[in-house]
Parts: sequence; structure tokens; C-alpha cells
Amino acid sequence: MRGVEPGVLWSALAVALGYYLAARLGFAFTLQPHPISTLWPPNALLMAALLLAPSRRWWVLLAAALPAHLMAELQSGVPLAMVLGWFASNCSEALLGAALVRAFVPGALRFDSLRSAGVFLLFGAFVAPLASSFLDAALVKLIGFGEGEYWTLVHMRFSSNVLAELTIVPLIVAWATWRPRDLRDVPPKCLLEIAAVFTGLVAASLIAFDLPVIDANTAPALFYAPLPFLLWAAVRLGVRGTATGLAVMVMMTIWGAVHEMGPFAGGAPQDTARDMQVFLIAVSVPLLLLAVSLEERSKAELDAQEQRLQLTHLSRVAMLGELSGGIAHELNQPLTAILSNAQAAQHFLAGKDLDREELGEILKDIIAADQRAGEVIHRLRALFKKGETHLQPLDANELVREVLTIAHGDLITRAVEAMPDLAAQLPLIEGDRVQLEQVMLNLVMNACDAMSAGGADARRLSIRTRATDSSVQISFADLGPGFRPADYDKLFQPFYTTKPQGLGLGLSISRSIVTAHGGRLWGASSPGRGATFHITLPILDLGPITARPLT
Amino acid sequence: MPSVAIVDDEEGIRKALSRLLRASGLDAESYANGQEFLDAAAAHRPDCVVLDLHMPGMSGLQVLRKLKAAGQRLSIVVITAHDEPETRERCIDAGACAYLRKPLEDRLLLNAISAAMRSHTAAIRR
Repeated sequence: MRGVEPGVLWSALAVALGYYLAARLGFAFTLQPHPISTLWPPNALLMAALLLAPSRRWWVLLAAALPAHLMAELQSGVPLAMVLGWFASNCSEALLGAALVRAFVPGALRFDSLRSAGVFLLFGAFVAPLASSFLDAALVKLIGFGEGEYWTLVHMRFSSNVLAELTIVPLIVAWATWRPRDLRDVPPKCLLEIAAVFTGLVAASLIAFDLPVIDANTAPALFYAPLPFLLWAAVRLGVRGTATGLAVMVMMTIWGAVHEMGPFAGGAPQDTARDMQVFLIAVSVPLLLLAVSLEERSKAELDAQEQRLQLTHLSRVAMLGELSGGIAHELNQPLTAILSNAQAAQHFLAGKDLDREELGEILKDIIAADQRAGEVIHRLRALFKKGETHLQPLDANELVREVLTIAHGDLITRAVEAMPDLAAQLPLIEGDRVQLEQVMLNLVMNACDAMSAGGADARRLSIRTRATDSSVQISFADLGPGFRPADYDKLFQPFYTTKPQGLGLGLSISRSIVTAHGGRLWGASSPGRGATFHITLPILDLGPITARPLT
Repeated sequence: MPSVAIVDDEEGIRKALSRLLRASGLDAESYANGQEFLDAAAAHRPDCVVLDLHMPGMSGLQVLRKLKAAGQRLSIVVITAHDEPETRERCIDAGACAYLRKPLEDRLLLNAISAAMRSHTAAIRR
């Protein structure tokens, strides 16, 4: 057998300690002389531990729970046979639940989809407690410890265990992935909101369940006082916040009743326990499902956004690959100026009459050429970088000039003459500079490709900027063969390309970028007479009242 | 002093190359585009031409072809910052004596210029 690594020992230790504390908590939540705790957390803690661990480690965790179980139970004077019987039924619940959940949700359970939450509710919080309750009640009857009908025992065990699974497992599973450094990424506003939710929840639960002033006859509506805060948690704080909120309310409700306070106190212990369990289970299930479904949706949105960003970056890098010849040209030019100037200076220095003024000029030119090479690299780095979308006010003319500078090498080496016709003055637009430059660069490259077969005098690219009432329009017109109307829709489909080395992503991604900017990208062509692609982008509204935040 | 014409659209390169050629005892004349050079060459033919390949408007290759079509035989060293597989052959076919990639080592450039002038003189003598 392989050696047990230290990580397993730590989790075994954590399970043992947790199990012992959970058992103590369970005892504290027992309404005397009612024999069964309202909420019995050790089984649930064990199930959560199994759900988080690989199944080959389960035996270690179950073994670790045994000493904790013995220590907790023997203290309360239960006969050894019953103590061991309960350990067997507790383990069977945790094992059965974890195994069934694992069978349907492979890997560590995360409450990140309605499916995984549903599987847990069915098997972890219903089937497993049900099965173990039969076993538990049978063992009690067999050993002859305590009194009560078999079916009553089953019923009491079942609701106690269901409530425990519902309260404890999501709490532990949700917090298991949390690291203290996560706290640094939480904006102060969110911390404030979390504080508000929990202050409200604790205050409402205190008033509803833990003050002696309330009794069962006065205000049953008060049961629902904590609900708004739990809903708030479900909508805004995710599964972790909701599970924590539910645990807080469950603990406070039971604590109140055990201390004979709150609306549940006063009746027979068995009725009080049952009422509380039904109420708390009824609250927990829908709130948990609500939190999971909202988190699943927002995660799906984030995933889609991340994917879009990745794809945008991928196609940008692919496009820069196509530009590499032109980029080499753009870097070789200043390098040539630098080298030839420096070597000229060497020749001057070797000669007899040294012209200091000329040398000064040479150095000045070397510096200028070096700066130019630096700018080429700086521009490229900005395009290569993979970053979040960063919206800022932009001048479309400046974007066009910048794009023509980036594409300069390609335009020259492919003998395409760019003819910018820029409006004298344009209102600002709002957008992500890199993404919009990507769109324009893509249109410039497409135009160059379209004209590559044409003669030298048919390689002109006109770029026009104009302002309309509410938008800025940038048009790229080439003299290539154009496209047939029947092919128009295909142009914007991903992976449609007419170029041998093209990815076919350019126009489809360009269109999604422009659309995300609230604009439009479309093309027009009469076959044989070139194609024109237009981008319109909404004017940035800088009015004092309607100003929008830029983030 | 032999005269060399420099044809390049980039001012920084024109300046750097004329300095280098002057420092090496050559007389340098520079032109910002092909047409400007062709006009000047019709009146005064240089001993050698350093011709950039990729220029806006008329490319170096077009200049070579125009000279060939006009029957003007000049010693031409083509220089380029963007080397493509078949360009060298095309330039030599169009009448260039040498084809050099930028950035230019001074010795390579000067050797190419003097070789171009020699071969040209030899061709005339024959």
C-alpha cells in the first residue's frame, strides 16, 4: 500500500475534530427530554468530507471519525453497543449519500449547477438520510436503548438528518474552495453588502427566534422575518453566502427553541422539533436552489464573455501573424538607418577631418530611428496583449491613423496605396482601443488581400470617416473583385474564408466586437467593382446628466 | 568621384546612406521616389544606383522594368527591408546587379556598388 501523504492526515484530523464538535453541537440542539437532536450534524459533516475527497481516501476519513464518535457519545453515558451501532448508521448515511452523489456528479461536488444541486438534494439530503434512519431505528430497537415506536424513531431520525444535510453539506462544500487570499479580491462595496446582509439576518433571527418576548401564540408571521435577508443573500451573495445565511438562521432558530424562546418554544419537545424541522427544510431547499440557479446563470454569462475575449485575442494574434512580413519591414527600416548612420560615423572618425556637427546630426538621427523602432514594438505589444475590455473615449480619426501606421509595412510591401479621407472633426466615440483597432486592421488586411491579384493601379484603399447625427461612420473601400450578394451572409460566418491561410474568424469577430460596442458592421459590393465595409459606432454622450460610467 | 543615386522613400535611410557613401569617397545624390529618379536619370546618368524595392507609388521593380524598357543600362543595387522568396530573381531578371537585404552592412553595400560599377564598365568595354 502506498504511504499516506500529509494532506490526508490533515483532513483526517480535521474530520475527527469537526465530527467531535458537530456531535457536541448536536447534543446542544437536543430538546430535553426528547431523545433525538433537532439537527444532528456529524453525519452531514462526514458526508461533506467524503464529497470533497477522492473515494480512495474515504476509509481514512471514516476511520478518523470513529475515535471522535466514541469520545462524544461515551461521555453521555450511552451503552457501547448503541454507540457503535450509531457509528455504523452515521457512516452508512455519509457513505451512501456520497457514493450516490459521486455516481451522478463525478469529481468533487460543487454547487455550481442546478443538476449537481438536484443530485445532492435527492441522494444526499433525501435517500441517504431515509435509508440510514431505517437502520438507525432498527438498531435502537434491537439494542433496546430508549423507548418509542419504530416508525416514530424513523421519522424523528429522518427529519433531523435531512435538516442537517441541508444545512451542513452546502456550507462546508461552498467554503472548502475558499482561501483567505480571496478576501483581497472582494471590493469594499461587496464587503459592506455582506456585512449588511448578515447584520440584518442576525438581527431578524434574534427578534424572531431568540427573544423571550415572543411566544407561539403571538406572531407566527415573525417566522418570515429573516427571509428577506436570505433572499438577498441568494440573489447577491451566491451559494456560499446563502449556505452561510441558512446555517445562521437554522442555528439561531434551534438555539432559541432549546432555550425556550421564540415562536417554536412552549409545546411538547417532539412537536417543537418537528415544526422547526419542517419550517427550516421548507425554507432551505428553495433558497439553496435559487442561489445555485442564479450562480449557474451568471457563471455561464462570465464563461461566454471569457470565451469571447479569448477568441477575440486568438484572432488578433492570428492577424498579427499575417502582418509579420510588414512588421519586419517596419523594424528593418529604422534598423537600417541606425546601422548605416553608425557605420558612416565610424568612417568619418577614421578620416582626418572630423566634422563634429555632422557627428551630432548622425547621433540625433540614430536616436530618432531607435525611437521609431521602439514605437513599432510598443504598438505591437498593445495588440498582442490579452486584456479585459477597457472602454474609453476615442477619436475614430486617430484610430484610423494608428491602424494605418501599424499596417504601413504591409501596405508598402503589398503595393497598396491607402487614401485616407478623414472628417475634419469627429465627435468622440466610446470603446476599447485595441479591439476597435483590431476590427479596422482586419478590414485593411482583407482589402489588401482582395486587391493582391489586381494590377498596380488597382490597389487603392480608401478610408473615409464621417459623423452622422448619432454615430460616427468609418468606411473601407477597396478595388478588389468584390463579393456576390449570395455570399454576403457567409462573409460574417465564423470559419468562412477565401484565403488559403485564413482562419475565417476576422469578420465574424469584428462584427461581434462592433455589436458589443453598440454599433454596426456591414458591407456592400458590386461584383467586379470592389467592396466597401462600413462601421458605425454611437457617439459618446458627454452630457452631464446622461453621462455613463466608463467601466 | 563616382556618383551614386540613392532611391528610397524613407528620408532617414536616404540621409544615412548618403553619409555612408560620402564617408567612403563617393558622391551621393538621393531621390524620394522612382519617378523623381527616372526624371533626373534621363538628364544625368549616375555611375551606380542604390534602389529601394518597396516604395509607395512606383516600386523598385517597376523602376527597373521602366529602365529596361527604355533601354537604359544602369548598374543597380536593389535593397529591401522585406525579403520574399522570388524577389531576388525577379530583380536580377529585370536588370539589377545585386540584391541586398536591409539592414545593410557597409562593406557588403560598398563591395556591391563597386562590383556593379566594374561589371557595368566591363560590359560597356565588351
